[in-house]
Amino acid sequence: MLKLKNIDAFFGKTQVLRHVTLHVEAGEIVSLIGANGSGKTTLLNVISGLHPSRNGSRVFLNVETRGMKPEKIVALGILQVPEAEKVFNPLTLLENLELGAYLRRPDRVKLAEEMEKVFQLFPILRERKDQPAGTLSGGERQMLALGKALMGQPKLLMLDEPSLGLAPTVVSEIFHIVRSLNDRGITILLVEQNAKEALRISHRTYVLDTGRIVLSGSGQELLNNDEVKRAFLGKDYRGKWER
Amino acid sequence: MPIFNPDIEAMERNELLELQNERLQIVVNQAYSNVDFYRKKFDETGVNPDDIKSLEDLKKIPFTTRKDLMDNYPYGMFAVPLRDVVRLQFPLGIYGNPIVIGYTRQDLKIWRELVARIMAGIGITDHDILQVAFNYGLFLGAVRFNQAAELIGAAVVPTSIASAEVQLRIMQDFRSTVLISTPSFALHIMETMKRKKMDPRSLSLNIGLFGAEPWPERVRQVIEENFKIKAYDIYGVMELIEPGVAGECSARAGLHIFEDHFFAEVINPHTGQTLSAGQEGELVLTTLTTNAYPLLRYRTSDLTALHYEPCSCGRTMARMDRVLKRADKMISVRGINVFPEKIEEVLAGIDGVGPGYSLEVTEKQEMNDRLKVRVEASPEIFTIREERKTALQESVQLALRRAIGLRVEVEIGKIP
Repeated sequence: MLKLKNIDAFFGKTQVLRHVTLHVEAGEIVSLIGANGSGKTTLLNVISGLHPSRNGSRVFLNVETRGMKPEKIVALGILQVPEAEKVFNPLTLLENLELGAYLRRPDRVKLAEEMEKVFQLFPILRERKDQPAGTLSGGERQMLALGKALMGQPKLLMLDEPSLGLAPTVVSEIFHIVRSLNDRGITILLVEQNAKEALRISHRTYVLDTGRIVLSGSGQELLNNDEVKRAFLGKDYRGKWER
Repeated sequence: MPIFNPDIEAMERNELLELQNERLQIVVNQAYSNVDFYRKKFDETGVNPDDIKSLEDLKKIPFTTRKDLMDNYPYGMFAVPLRDVVRLQFPLGIYGNPIVIGYTRQDLKIWRELVARIMAGIGITDHDILQVAFNYGLFLGAVRFNQAAELIGAAVVPTSIASAEVQLRIMQDFRSTVLISTPSFALHIMETMKRKKMDPRSLSLNIGLFGAEPWPERVRQVIEENFKIKAYDIYGVMELIEPGVAGECSARAGLHIFEDHFFAEVINPHTGQTLSAGQEGELVLTTLTTNAYPLLRYRTSDLTALHYEPCSCGRTMARMDRVLKRADKMISVRGINVFPEKIEEVLAGIDGVGPGYSLEVTEKQEMNDRLKVRVEASPEIFTIREERKTALQESVQLALRRAIGLRVEVEIGKIP
């Protein structure tokens, strides 16, 4: 579905992505894990056209997306739920959801139907539909962000740190939702600090380190990979080399 | 015949190349950041891991040789801390420094699957009884047959080095359907069977899987006719995994290389130049998924040619010709690898013999069967008594047997 080949990206003169090559198959949950500053978010921004990439190619559903404007990429079916500022705080939930469908401009009846689907998935949002989004809790805001993205009818949904700043119980609920979205046929590319949960729900995972992909494998493989355990799952080792 | 992992083994060729490219970049990044040897080699030759953007770019990376593995003995080539390693293997018979190869849990899991792919590809199922007559002590990969069989659900009888009589008895009583061994041991069992006038139809055997030494087509014919079986070839490289790098399928049109885990090239062994498909040269392999002991462009010394046309079995993985020749001086005698360099090393450690020597191999059924070492002795040898000469001969024989794990004949005298 998505194929990145040799993507380079820079912040000024600093190279933040180094010939990143990866692929996402339709129907998969693929996660990207890596330390702070490893380039995960930049990679998502590159895919959605928010950050320029140099060299390489970015093919989505057989269409080269390099040089495309973000809105055109959204129209192809790639939607990103950013880490911060994912909802419009002063607007009500309903207005937020409506904006999610903005690019597609469905008619009133259709819009109502689609919203109904979102409310079925997130009943809590229905209760608060007329409240400004700014009054929501962290978990509810994340659900609204997901709901808003669903209104865009994504083929590939990219989630940037959906568990960030949420209480543990809410985190597992969010991951549960992510998996159920995938069950409904939405392909998911997930960026996460919470490596353990990400690995658990992912079909495949890539590990980024200072802009390079240094490991890949199935979620289960990487959960058992000692290097990953050391770096992301808090398993302590005395030294890297024990010769 | 079924394909064990059709999503991979029969994947579109261009998708396979993309997967290889993705994995190649990862393994290069890992090797550069975790293995001092590779970092030094890259830096010395001016190659940056960021330069490796396509499979074509792999050519920029220098070859890795057995000497590199020896020079970095024991753990210099490891890309993971020892704690992550669950198996250490030490191939016998290597001269100079020994080498040691490490495997993580994941490495072993992949290895097991690759052997299972070969088994499934030649029709082995959970109904089969596999008689594994490899020397489990000398051939470290033998145990992989047990694990792969477990994955498939087949039963294993590890008869190991039991005598040919015992092998035949077990074959008959247990109704073994598959024989897995070196081709020379299969020939030995076959001869015993003929001598005892046993009817091969009294056996349930229908598949043979043979490897670990070169065996010409003629040998295959003899084994197949006498046992009334289909015989298949399996290939491995002791510095990577052996067996399991490649194996024949039911079409028997070469051995499928598991390209999702190994990138294969064939080079001119003298110039190092990459050869195109169909041309014979030295096989060079790059591991794409190995965690503990990644090897970039490792020269296997095995001579073969690669073929990329799709196979009638449905697999899209490239095929290599059966390996019958080597680029180095290694010879294989009854499945045991013998490096002449190792023999030199042994002779150098014994007073009164060498350095001159010659090797003579006696063939049986077109397979190397016996090895005779003729050693030059210092002139005094002809003045000493016969029993001391015999004692010297025996000590050379013992030393060689210890070093290479094979009984050799020793003759002390002049080199003709």
